[in-house]
Amino acid sequence: MPSVSRNSQSPLDTPPLFSERPEWSDITPLDQYEDANPVAPIFYSADYKDATDYFRGVVKTGEKSERVLDLTERVIRLNPAHYSAWQYRYETLIALGSPLDVELKLMDELAVKFLKTYQVWHHRRLLVTLTRNPAPELKFIATSLKEDAKNYHTWSYRQWLLAYFNDEDLWQGELDFVEMMTTQDVRNNSAWHHRFFVVFQSGLREGETDRARVIKRELTYVKHNISLAANNPSAWNYLRGILDANNIPYADLGEFVKPYATSPQDLPVSDLVDLENPPPAKGAELPCAPAIEFLADIYEKQGGQDGLRQAAELWRSLADEHDTMRKKYWEYRTRDALKT
Amino acid sequence: MSEERFHLPPLARAGHASHCKRCLSGLPGSQSEVDASKLALSFYCIGSLDLLGAMDTTSQTDRQSWKDWIWEQQTKGRHGSGFRPSSFMTPRPGLGSSETYTEYDTPHIIMTYTALLCLSILRDDFLKLDRAGIINFMRACQRDDGSFSIVPGSNETDLRTLYCAFAISHMLNDWSGVDTTRAAAFIASCRTYEGGYGQAPFCEAQGGTTYIAIASLHLAPQLQKPPLTLVERQSTIHWLLQNQDQSGGFCGRTGKDADACYCFWCGATLEILDAKHLIDANSLVRFLASCQFKYGGISKAPGETPDPYHTYLSLAALAMYPPGQDVAHNEAASWRIEPIDPLLNATKETVKWAREHIPA
Ligand SMILES: [Zn+2]
Repeated sequence: MPSVSRNSQSPLDTPPLFSERPEWSDITPLDQYEDANPVAPIFYSADYKDATDYFRGVVKTGEKSERVLDLTERVIRLNPAHYSAWQYRYETLIALGSPLDVELKLMDELAVKFLKTYQVWHHRRLLVTLTRNPAPELKFIATSLKEDAKNYHTWSYRQWLLAYFNDEDLWQGELDFVEMMTTQDVRNNSAWHHRFFVVFQSGLREGETDRARVIKRELTYVKHNISLAANNPSAWNYLRGILDANNIPYADLGEFVKPYATSPQDLPVSDLVDLENPPPAKGAELPCAPAIEFLADIYEKQGGQDGLRQAAELWRSLADEHDTMRKKYWEYRTRDALKT
Repeated sequence: MSEERFHLPPLARAGHASHCKRCLSGLPGSQSEVDASKLALSFYCIGSLDLLGAMDTTSQTDRQSWKDWIWEQQTKGRHGSGFRPSSFMTPRPGLGSSETYTEYDTPHIIMTYTALLCLSILRDDFLKLDRAGIINFMRACQRDDGSFSIVPGSNETDLRTLYCAFAISHMLNDWSGVDTTRAAAFIASCRTYEGGYGQAPFCEAQGGTTYIAIASLHLAPQLQKPPLTLVERQSTIHWLLQNQDQSGGFCGRTGKDADACYCFWCGATLEILDAKHLIDANSLVRFLASCQFKYGGISKAPGETPDPYHTYLSLAALAMYPPGQDVAHNEAASWRIEPIDPLLNATKETVKWAREHIPA
């Protein structure tokens, strides 16, 4: 629900009402039509009423001019969800042949100010579709993610930009970028999702055509990240994602997963570091639920009395101890497996 | 955890009802953003009263004036008919009966869906509904890729609008305004490796859009049933359940904080997938109980400001997941919510009314 309270502006920043500006005296402001009893009447501020009265007036005459850009900007600043003002502004920019880089500069400010408003991002898409200059956008998005590293609109915009232009130069730095984002916060699922998009959904790009090598690289990457933070569902989902997308049996990861599904005191002490299977970091809270679950999946797939017995045992430990919130789910998995 | 006993406070029914009534009677100027989505806000307010069984605490006069206002928003023109969010782009003295809307004051597909539900809650007879016009309007909104724009000709699109087109078709019992095959292909393109759906192709799985994808697939009678393969269904259920965190509430994306609205979006999806029994309902109730604001209304998380959207969706979640006998004790009665239809997101009684009165 749009219930964002707008930054209150100091009186000095508040521009004069349009009704007080001589240069607007030729426009007839048009009141909003309301019948006697509107649902949830909004007690508009004087600023908002003034700006929207003039906006309705301008729409009526069909004027598309420089001053309409001022007016729509004012309406948008007062109500960034006003999609008609955005639409009219866009058409005005086109009609005037306005420099779109100037508009994008303004959008840099508004995007950060109204980060959660769909329209800001939508408008930006329209502009970039016309300028066909996506490269600077990547930098802008990176800056904007500094404000909110999980903002859905920001990430969607990046995904759209890459897929829409599908330009080799654009993709070039993407893996490094997303790695930087996961390094900053290994639990940022938006970054993990983006990585999946870049590696597995963007087609076979230069340098990425040797899929066996790419899969190996991704497995190494995700295993390394799990070793740093074992209880990170984003990384485990990513691991499953790689395996599912490439039809790799979960059992291939058995050696890696086992230490994460085991109590630390039961782990054999070893000085040998297996680079393929990095061990949990010291102090990790083990066993962790995603690993137990993963191991149970391996046993379930293996099947037979022995496999199912071991899977059921693991599910019981999830239900009773390590993941009690999903007790009913683990009990259901057990019933389901034993039924077949 | 569900094992632990916890003291369940009563559901502050009267407080939540008055929060919604207050919003219906007026909003401060700081809420001007509601201009562009006022019919949706009306739905959350009126819908909350419906879930609480509190419609009879409103006056006949109020109900009539709400209906009149909603019908005022039905508008016709070159893209067909439907409902606009409010009269925010309509200058005085309004449109005469023969006039048509401008390109800046067209119907809006999400508002059309919420208008039909509001009018059903208000038990309207729908004699004024321009059914053929709505079919044309949906046709004008569907894009080549199968998705729908919020208003005709706009590039603004995501899965929400597709769900609204499906829900409207279901209520009209007329699917001639939508190409369900193309729409289903668009839904499939939004599926992610996590088992949920994003708002557009390549986007991260999110609880709200996952509800919308799954509900849409189940609404359309033409699409194959069940719409998901066994493996897909399992992974969607798994992802949805994973979103219930230690607070008992659901988060909308992996690793985010729990938020009351996702108790509905994830909970309703699980019900549609026949997996309702797998949720830890008592923990969910405990979380929603803690999101109650002391002066009425429910907020997205404990200690936040309440709003009609989170109030409605929390109540709707509770309609599906009431507290068990073991925790409700003497407060059980206060937690009773009218049964809900998870596909259309309204009470069963209201959906029955819609299905009986909206089709031609
Ligand atoms: Zn929410």
